[in-house]
Amino acid sequence: MTNPFDHLSEYRQYAWGHRMLHSISVALISLRSLSAGIWVIVALFLLSGIGVLFSTQSKSHKLEMWVFSPEHQAMYLPMIESQSGDERIKPHLSLLSIAAIKSRMMSGFFGGLPTADLIEVERSTVGQAFMGPIEAIGFRDLTDRMESEGLLELFNPPSLSPWSVQGRVFGLPHDVHPVMLAYRADLVEAAGIDLEQVETWEEFFDALAPMMTDADGNGINDRYAMSFWYTQPDNVELLLLQGGGHLFDAQSKPTLNSSINAEILSTIVSWCVDPSQPVIDIDEFSAAGHQARIDGKAIAYLCPDWMCSIWKMHVPLIAGKMKLIPLPAFKEGGRRTSVRGGTMLGFPRSSENFDTSWESAKLLYTSPEIARELYRSVDIITPVRSLWDDPVYDEPDPFFMNQRKGQMYIDLAPNIPTRTSSPYNTSAVLEVRDAAVNLASWAKSNEMYQPEDLEAKALELLEIAHQNIVRKMARNAFTGVEN
Amino acid sequence: MQDMSKQRVVFAWVTLAPFLILFTIFMVYPLIQSAFLSANQTYGPGTRTFVGFDNFTNLTEDPLFWKSIGNTIIYALGSLFIQLPLAFGLALALNSKKLRGRSIYRLIFFSPQLMGLVFVSILGVLAFEKRAGLVNRALAWITSNPALLEIDWLQSNIMSTLILISLWLYVGFNMIYFLAALQNVDQSLIEAAEIDGAGAWEKLIHVILPSVRPVATFVVLLSMIGSLQLFELPFVLLDGGGGPNNKGLTIVMYLYQNGFEIGDLGYASAIGWALAFMLIGLALIQIRMVRSEELAK
Repeated sequence: MTNPFDHLSEYRQYAWGHRMLHSISVALISLRSLSAGIWVIVALFLLSGIGVLFSTQSKSHKLEMWVFSPEHQAMYLPMIESQSGDERIKPHLSLLSIAAIKSRMMSGFFGGLPTADLIEVERSTVGQAFMGPIEAIGFRDLTDRMESEGLLELFNPPSLSPWSVQGRVFGLPHDVHPVMLAYRADLVEAAGIDLEQVETWEEFFDALAPMMTDADGNGINDRYAMSFWYTQPDNVELLLLQGGGHLFDAQSKPTLNSSINAEILSTIVSWCVDPSQPVIDIDEFSAAGHQARIDGKAIAYLCPDWMCSIWKMHVPLIAGKMKLIPLPAFKEGGRRTSVRGGTMLGFPRSSENFDTSWESAKLLYTSPEIARELYRSVDIITPVRSLWDDPVYDEPDPFFMNQRKGQMYIDLAPNIPTRTSSPYNTSAVLEVRDAAVNLASWAKSNEMYQPEDLEAKALELLEIAHQNIVRKMARNAFTGVEN
Repeated sequence: MQDMSKQRVVFAWVTLAPFLILFTIFMVYPLIQSAFLSANQTYGPGTRTFVGFDNFTNLTEDPLFWKSIGNTIIYALGSLFIQLPLAFGLALALNSKKLRGRSIYRLIFFSPQLMGLVFVSILGVLAFEKRAGLVNRALAWITSNPALLEIDWLQSNIMSTLILISLWLYVGFNMIYFLAALQNVDQSLIEAAEIDGAGAWEKLIHVILPSVRPVATFVVLLSMIGSLQLFELPFVLLDGGGGPNNKGLTIVMYLYQNGFEIGDLGYASAIGWALAFMLIGLALIQIRMVRSEELAK
């Protein structure tokens, strides 16, 4: 005897199939009534969709490398091409903007998605990658590998600090970026002043005081001793580091409220608020700033090695008029250089080609040819100490009145201050900038212009800045900082 | 008959499907995800810690969050009390039949919108530059006072600079709405008022303003919502930061800084929800005001 419910179930299946067929035919009839224009849109949608689907680049390279600088790309390409062996292990270079690298890299790290095998990251954007516990950092820990291959000794030690977290290194340094003082030697020498013997900032400003005149009597100086202002965060950090200040200790705990920071901050703010005002804020990258450099509005400029190539490209009219000297120290016998900017090469953990990437990276980051090209094309000195005796660094540079600029920067390279890799560094620098702004307005309203008169107030303002950073860091359980 | 209605339903779903799929992927899912995120801390990849309402309680104690709200409100009030009256004044002037070349003026005032926000912001940076900027140069030339070249708009006068640039950008845009409203004012009402001896001021107060009120309400709401979402202008103008003492930090910029610079997507989500509640509150107030006005009629 058959179960009547079997028929019922068959009927249901039949009815469901019938309804489906009916719905599809109804939909097709509906679509038939669509106008030609809609069909054109649908056709375009399908065509472009298929185009996008099949337009992925042919994967002839096994390795992918992201760089943000066209100059780096131009340097690396011939070196990669000259590499012998399997074509597939030569990295494919993609030139992306700094912002694009940051967002793609962080999306990859957060989403566990593949990124490139090698990524060049600029210092201002690397902090976010170092957020959180050390084991969750998206880049591979290179310390053991570098140690076993002798690379830790090969690189300039302070140049490893911005890429190190809790003593572990997460990137190969691309550069050193020591800072010197560049000045308009044509104007200074015409005034009979010798800056070569200057040792401290005080001596520097005293030496240039006779040049700060107001010939047209309009109440504004025609020339200033140096281009600097307390609202420029990068330069505030640069001088703070030079003077021995620090925003974080070795354990990445904030130290904004230190007395040495207050001392440096009072000094640099006093340069700006003093009625004789020896400094002026000239923009570093705008056309107006370049014109001011040509006009000799400021005599001296804080000059990291990379700045030289920017001037050569954008302000060729000052070629042969500039000279470099080590930064004057805050105190006699003090540090004569600082550091600004930087790039590292990182290896994302998600990459499955680490060994191949590592070999390519060593070739690009330790080769004498690349180091030479780096200096010749963008005036950047290599962090590889064994290459510092290359003759290229002894070549006279006509832009700087034939000074042997490369060697001058190299002489200072071992003395650059160590830097933090704290992801809160950018915030901390901005807090110090705000403290400087408030100190300047306090100084003006109280007519107090000497560094020693400003120090107590500077400490008070830095304490506020310190608490702001502590509050920010305390939200992050991994910093170990408590409110 | 039943077939026809089924056909219509199927057709509706087929045509709606692409939108619904994209809306679900790009709006509904992120909305739900951000609600979850706002109850978490996400410092660094793969590190998510549940913190419940801590992000929201932290917000109430975060001076920077309140500062960003204060700045945004100042900007919104500037938009409301300077930008909109100016836009309405311009619309009145350009609606006048006595004015020659009205179309050219309309194009000129609307043209910043054609350039785009980021481009106008970049031009703003150049125009308000210290010493070399057009604004300071013009001020120094007009007053023969070289000291005016030293006005530091982008460091010391951030909010006034933001409001000035937004005037340039949005006055012409809002003017178009008012112009459309003015062109729809019933001419017979104006003629009747004239016959009753009404002057220009009486006509404006008693005929024109009541007639353009619905459009004005819409423009005010649009302007307030736009002001609360302010991001691109200060971002370009202040190079991604909030400027000295965070005088130019807006709510959305603070959200961006926390989410995409510090990397705490949870806290950024909490800021996003706080902003969403503000916008919803504002819209509700606006709706209630409109309804009470309608009831009063």
